[in-house]
Amino acid sequence: MGELLFEAKGIGKDYGATTVLHDIDMKISSGEIIGLIGENGAGKSTLMKIISGVEKQSFGTMTLRGKPYSANTILEANHHGIGMVFQEQSLVGNLTVAQNIYLNREKKYSTAGFVSWRKMNVDAKKAIARLGLDLDTSKKVRDLDFATRQMIEIAKVLDVVEETASGKAIILLDEPTTVLSNEEIDKLFENMRNVAARGNAIIFISHRLDEVLKITDRIYVFKDGAETAEMPTKGADINILYEKMVGRSTTGEFYVEHKQTVPTDEVVMSVKDLSVFGSFNHISFDLHKGEVLGLCGVEGSGKESICAVLVGDEAPTSGEIVINGKNQNFANPYQARKKGILGVPKERRSEGMIGILSLEDNILISHLDGLTKRGLLNGKKTRAIADEWIKKAGIKCTSAEERINQLSGGNAQKVIFARALESGCRILILNHPTRGVDVGSKEEIYSLVRDMTAAGNSIILLGDTLDECIGLSSRCIVLRDGLITGSFECQVGNKPSQKNIVEKMM
Amino acid sequence: MNRKWENAIKEYSVGQQFVLRVKDDAKRDRITRIAPVILLVIMTLIGAVSQKDFFSPDNLVNILYQMSIPLVISVGLMLVLLIGSIDLSIEGNMGFAGSLVAFLVTNGTNSNNFGIWGVLFCIFIGALVGFITGFLHVKARIASFIVTYAIGSIMTGAAVLIYKGTAIKVLDPAFEVISRNKFLGIPYLTIIAFAVFLIGALILNYTAFGRAVYAIGDNELAAASTGIDVGKVKILVFTISGCIASIAGILMCIRLKLGQSSIGADQMFPVVTSIVIGGGSLAGGKGGALASFIGVLIYTELVNWLTLMGVNVYLRGVIQGIIIIIAVALTINKNRRTIAK
Amino acid sequence: MTKKKAFKQEYLTKYMYLISLVLVMVVFSIFAPGFLSLYSLQNIMFEAAPLLILAGGLSFIIYTGGIDLGAGAMVSCTCVLTGIYIAKMGNIIVLLMILAGVVMGTLNGVITAKLKLPSFIVTLCTQNFWNYVALILCPNGSIIIPMNMRSIVKWTTVKIGVIPSTFLLAILVIFLLYVFQQYTFYGKSIFAVGANANATRLAGVNIDAAQISAFTISGVCSALAGALYAYKLKSAVPTIGTSLTLTAIASVALGGTSMAGGRGSVLRTSIGVLTITAVTSGLDMMGADPLWKNIIIGVILIGAVCLNSDSQGRDLIIK
Repeated sequence: MGELLFEAKGIGKDYGATTVLHDIDMKISSGEIIGLIGENGAGKSTLMKIISGVEKQSFGTMTLRGKPYSANTILEANHHGIGMVFQEQSLVGNLTVAQNIYLNREKKYSTAGFVSWRKMNVDAKKAIARLGLDLDTSKKVRDLDFATRQMIEIAKVLDVVEETASGKAIILLDEPTTVLSNEEIDKLFENMRNVAARGNAIIFISHRLDEVLKITDRIYVFKDGAETAEMPTKGADINILYEKMVGRSTTGEFYVEHKQTVPTDEVVMSVKDLSVFGSFNHISFDLHKGEVLGLCGVEGSGKESICAVLVGDEAPTSGEIVINGKNQNFANPYQARKKGILGVPKERRSEGMIGILSLEDNILISHLDGLTKRGLLNGKKTRAIADEWIKKAGIKCTSAEERINQLSGGNAQKVIFARALESGCRILILNHPTRGVDVGSKEEIYSLVRDMTAAGNSIILLGDTLDECIGLSSRCIVLRDGLITGSFECQVGNKPSQKNIVEKMM
Repeated sequence: MNRKWENAIKEYSVGQQFVLRVKDDAKRDRITRIAPVILLVIMTLIGAVSQKDFFSPDNLVNILYQMSIPLVISVGLMLVLLIGSIDLSIEGNMGFAGSLVAFLVTNGTNSNNFGIWGVLFCIFIGALVGFITGFLHVKARIASFIVTYAIGSIMTGAAVLIYKGTAIKVLDPAFEVISRNKFLGIPYLTIIAFAVFLIGALILNYTAFGRAVYAIGDNELAAASTGIDVGKVKILVFTISGCIASIAGILMCIRLKLGQSSIGADQMFPVVTSIVIGGGSLAGGKGGALASFIGVLIYTELVNWLTLMGVNVYLRGVIQGIIIIIAVALTINKNRRTIAK
Repeated sequence: MTKKKAFKQEYLTKYMYLISLVLVMVVFSIFAPGFLSLYSLQNIMFEAAPLLILAGGLSFIIYTGGIDLGAGAMVSCTCVLTGIYIAKMGNIIVLLMILAGVVMGTLNGVITAKLKLPSFIVTLCTQNFWNYVALILCPNGSIIIPMNMRSIVKWTTVKIGVIPSTFLLAILVIFLLYVFQQYTFYGKSIFAVGANANATRLAGVNIDAAQISAFTISGVCSALAGALYAYKLKSAVPTIGTSLTLTAIASVALGGTSMAGGRGSVLRTSIGVLTITAVTSGLDMMGADPLWKNIIIGVILIGAVCLNSDSQGRDLIIK
């Protein structure tokens, strides 16, 4: 290992009242490949965002090659030699490979404003050759397959940072292997080693522990926004890694377990051999009355897609959803709601809150058609309903008239919960219900969940953390790569260990 | 398609299915891109069958002549469509420029005689109006359809103010020459129009600005993350569109030797139709110079054929509308679950 | 956005319509003698009546974040139909026109909602069709309603007290629209769709139905306005609607309705209509060149939209 390239000391990040990162120290030396592992929500992405210039830290300092480092934009970070390859595709499909790599850097190939594509292609070929790629750089990116696109993204970031910091750059890779086949992964690793051999450093985030063990030199483990372990990869024990990733940090009290209901035998929904081509196959389970069914899995395991199908947002390729003895087909969430299914979406701001509308409107939106008398709504009645929910759910606001986007994250989420409860739907799909919510509101939401099941509703839960999934659920189903790999009973006093579940997840 | 996938579930793993699905989408994309060329061939065949002298030099030159003004307009409009916006002010700008230039050069209403300076001034005004439009769109964050609609109305009104009811007759000799004469059998007007289109194509395909336009239309956030000043590019796009609309208005004035606000009437919609037929997308990111050219050619042949069939002029607008709806509906990604407004 | 800026912005939007009405009244009472006379005010009411209905209906489409650029063409179409067929059918023609409005509006709504096309394109396309009908039936300019049928249209010139009957009709329509807007679930859904279509959809609302209903209402109102114009001008005028779309949109904007959708009120739109009608009436009284009308309304539209722009409150990419 070479000299110290980058050091982070005491990095912390708060979003309002919620702390997502706490006292992170990290050291990266030239030529190292660092692995970063942890559950969803453990803080890995947040740290990467801070390092790559997307976000600013709330506490702590960073030094790069001995000098203090901070970046306000991705571009600034690039100029310092730090580049990140994001999970979402950031290439422009209707431009060629070369044009993508040199987007906004065309100056050195242009005379009098007109660009010479020929000259650019020559350099582009060299850029992708660094990753062992050899293809026509005048091809449009949209005509290439995902694996090649991924490589070109890496080549682009590499080219950008090596322009300013050749041999001393830091590349951040966020889950680069999810769209690659095994051979492609091997090729990627070979390229990574070449890049590191030139003196650069790489931070590699992945939920596939076997890959992390294969390619990295050192591993950092994150859990709940804190660093729980740092160890050399050689000789690392996978069991210890699991333990450090998921060890129980919260007690059963937190999840209001004393209110957990035991589901009845009545089956309210039966999913039979449900499949979406390319997302998940052969999913079958029964949902009982009063049950909280947790779906556990990493990103890409298919759980999000299952959610989307159940709420009517996506159409399944095959299989059945049986409610009341009949196979139901929902073309949209409206039809799903009519059959008694409603979801609390994952992205609160864009999918949950109707931002500029009032609390009252947000709470009642899913039940308006049931509240009309002779076609008209009664303003007093709707206000009373809203006020009651504000009280029941403990929503902190000035009045039911207040715009929902003035509330804090936790309170806005409670409004959406109130909406789900008011809708009268018996089957509720909760997608990361406590994401971005402060600890106090989290407990209140867990209490609401218990009230929901006590009232006879049935819930399918995508938990924010594995801990939460186990704590809240009466039963957990584990998904990996689109298939069910395990099922665990989660009754109070008999909760499975996180390790058992994680093994099936990864 | 669902049936095919249902069976395929048994054969492939979920991971493999994902790759297949992506390939499927890419294939459908490629088909959509070939479609305009096929349409062109079909339309040409229909034309050749209905008209004995379809391939005669006279008829071909006539087609080129009819394509002239739409091609010029398409330069600006395709830039605007590429970034996902729309410019409803083209007709107003055209009418205004046409009226203003008639007012400034030698004409039958006043004693002005600014000649080339008048023309340059009009082009400048067009660019200025476009700049203001773009500025309002970007800085005040107003949707393009509203801001261009308002500006277009203002410019139409301003145009009428210039000539106050009676159209201005242009008497400038230079205008006469350009309007009447031909070079190698092709009217000067047509040559100028094609030259403008060529310059536009060069700018779109060989400058960093052109690449930025494509990038913004395809993935605005990705473009911004490479440091492209999205606002500046958008303002420039609208400035060019205003400038182009002026040029089109001036050309139209040359052709008609008349200056009035209706010069621009019913000029924008056919060009939008043409660009969409040629493969452009209202959502942005798709299309380009070649696509626009093919689209305008197809549309011109279609109009010729309709005229030959004796279809009512008013009915043409209806047919245009139906074509656009079909064309856009076919190219819309069916998997889009969100709403259009 | 700082709290102070946000406060000023909300304040402006909330009271802009009132401020502008008062401003207009004051300015014109200074420059146009007799502006505040009963005759002048009655004239304003008379002029505003059909526009009130038109802009009121159009508001609903704008609440969803869309637009109807062909509203004026719909008005021309029904104006012509009314003017020509009233001789044969009498006042029943109005009901038929309402039916026509349902058809026209629903067509626009279905294409927009089901085919997922942007409304400005759809309405630009269908506009050609409404204009076609108007021009086919009336190819040589206006056709006057024959004298012997004049008795049928007399009720529109009648005044109840000091207020023209058509104005009262418009007020009634606005009232009905207001009830629909505030007290029906379609009304609430329409606002929700404009505020955040995706979230509304995921909340289990039938957004297609909401969108379509907005277009249907607008279609009915446009059709009704067209019929009213035929009564008012006692003829079929195929070009009546040419500048009406602009005026209607400007009225909605002046009333503080956001073009991005999600908020607004027909009551405020009405004040916007009155303000703009007052402006045009006042300009007429001042002897100003009528050619300035479109320019001024266009400038008002831009000004109103700029002041109204609240897109900082949403995470949108504006196109």
